[in-house]
Amino acid sequence: MFWKRTIPIAIVATVGFLTLFGWFVDEPHIKNFVEDDATQWYDILASFAIFLGALNLLKMQSQKILKKQTGWQYSIFAVGGFIFAIIAGFVIKGNDAIQWGAHVTGKGTLFKWMFEFMFTPLSATMFALLAFFVASASYRAFRIRNFEATLLLISGIIIMLGRVPIGIKISAWFVLYLTILGIGVVVNNAFKNKQITLGFVVGGLLLTTIAGFWMGWPVDQPALFYLPILQDWIYNIPNVAGARAIMMGIGLGIFATSMRYILGIEKSYIGE
Amino acid sequence: MKDKQFWIGAGIVIALLMVYYLIGHPFFLSNRTVMLFAILLFSGTLIYYTRLAESGESFFLRDIPGLKAVEEAVGRSTEMGKQVLYVPGIMDMDQVETVAGVIVLGHVAKMTARYETPLNVPVSRAIVMKAGREACRESYLMEGRPDLFQDDMVHYLTDDQFAYAAGVNGIMVREEPAACLYMGKFYAESLILAETGNSIGAIQIAGTASQSQIPFFVTACDYTLIGEEFFAASAYLSQKPELLGGIKGQDMLKAMIVGVILIGSALRVFHDFGWISWDFVNFLTVQ
Repeated sequence: MFWKRTIPIAIVATVGFLTLFGWFVDEPHIKNFVEDDATQWYDILASFAIFLGALNLLKMQSQKILKKQTGWQYSIFAVGGFIFAIIAGFVIKGNDAIQWGAHVTGKGTLFKWMFEFMFTPLSATMFALLAFFVASASYRAFRIRNFEATLLLISGIIIMLGRVPIGIKISAWFVLYLTILGIGVVVNNAFKNKQITLGFVVGGLLLTTIAGFWMGWPVDQPALFYLPILQDWIYNIPNVAGARAIMMGIGLGIFATSMRYILGIEKSYIGE
Repeated sequence: MKDKQFWIGAGIVIALLMVYYLIGHPFFLSNRTVMLFAILLFSGTLIYYTRLAESGESFFLRDIPGLKAVEEAVGRSTEMGKQVLYVPGIMDMDQVETVAGVIVLGHVAKMTARYETPLNVPVSRAIVMKAGREACRESYLMEGRPDLFQDDMVHYLTDDQFAYAAGVNGIMVREEPAACLYMGKFYAESLILAETGNSIGAIQIAGTASQSQIPFFVTACDYTLIGEEFFAASAYLSQKPELLGGIKGQDMLKAMIVGVILIGSALRVFHDFGWISWDFVNFLTVQ
């Protein structure tokens, strides 16, 4: 119990307090520990732990091949790739002019070839998939199902149009006309009276047209309906307000979780 | 003033700090005083409410649909005879989100042990693999089903971001888990994982504090634990009073922060109009 419970909690508490309060102290030893030593210890630990991971990967994939489990053919590529990377890293340099060690970045080596012509294209392929997934996710998010989804759709359209060159060309008056028609739909839904809706829409369009002639139809006036300005406002005001609220919650959550660990309140890492 | 011991302890800490200050506060970085007091205040509030909960005080905890759905998702997998896929993010144990993800994994493992449902946890860091295994082992032991636990249910894939995403996608497409849970720190691979999970018709629950990935999870998953909800998951799932007390403490801190924002805004306006010379925002800014 002492070794499995008390010691781990004591280590976490000591290192936690040292790291937390070390930030307030100008003492070189503590500073070195917080900024260098602690992170280096972690890196050393993680470097050794990679062997465990690699062995586990080899074991799992080899078992799959030997037992011919579902998709065992893919495991041949995993094991083959693993062995090839080890050979390229430790056995065959491929370019005698380059020293061992420098061969991982040096030109004309097997390792560099593997990195440039196998690893990078495969990573890029996975990354490129994002474009298609963003399209399918956007389609799902922008479907008009309720008020929030409609709001999201309208905000999305404004931001997208406001950030491309064509957005600068779209007159604020055109957006104002569309807004009046949109509000007309809301008025119709609210009052369910054709005369009120007609009065609102015709009145609104008439007033806008008069104002347009009076002001000389400038593209960027009234500024509230000019897409580049409107998108800027949406992006910098309501969007930032929401994001900051989430950020504060996240900050508090991280702080509370860390304190629970340091104070020994949360003990699930030792299985309690 | 319910907890006398707490107030005596707080008094001692304040007295010690005052003594330290009066003797010339050696080694202390004075420009970080506000931050130190904020940390002491925040810690004190959390400890106070934790102690209050431990003494038997009950707190209201609002329903979090995403967390209620975790048991539902495991149940669905059990009914369908399929596995539960749990992804604890792509970062190492030095990230609080990964730690929180491993804690939630422990709770999920308890459920899978109870329902005898297969659990598959592909990880991208070897240390997370070890931590995840320990969490699962303890959970299966606590549920009285150590026979169902296998080391390989938590297995390593790769450290590389997109190779890991490809590996997890492969598992999803080949083995078609009925439930996919994503709890941890994610980057660009979040949408790749969640959309693939969506395409196989799995019930998906995500939890992350990675702000830029939250919209992707909200779009592609059935439930998403946003930021602080994710960190509250352990308390919610375990229902331990000391953890629930911490959640209450967090809420009180939030109320305090709202108060500081309102007062700070007013003081800043007064400063900008030249009515007061003290710049509150500058005072709060961490040096």
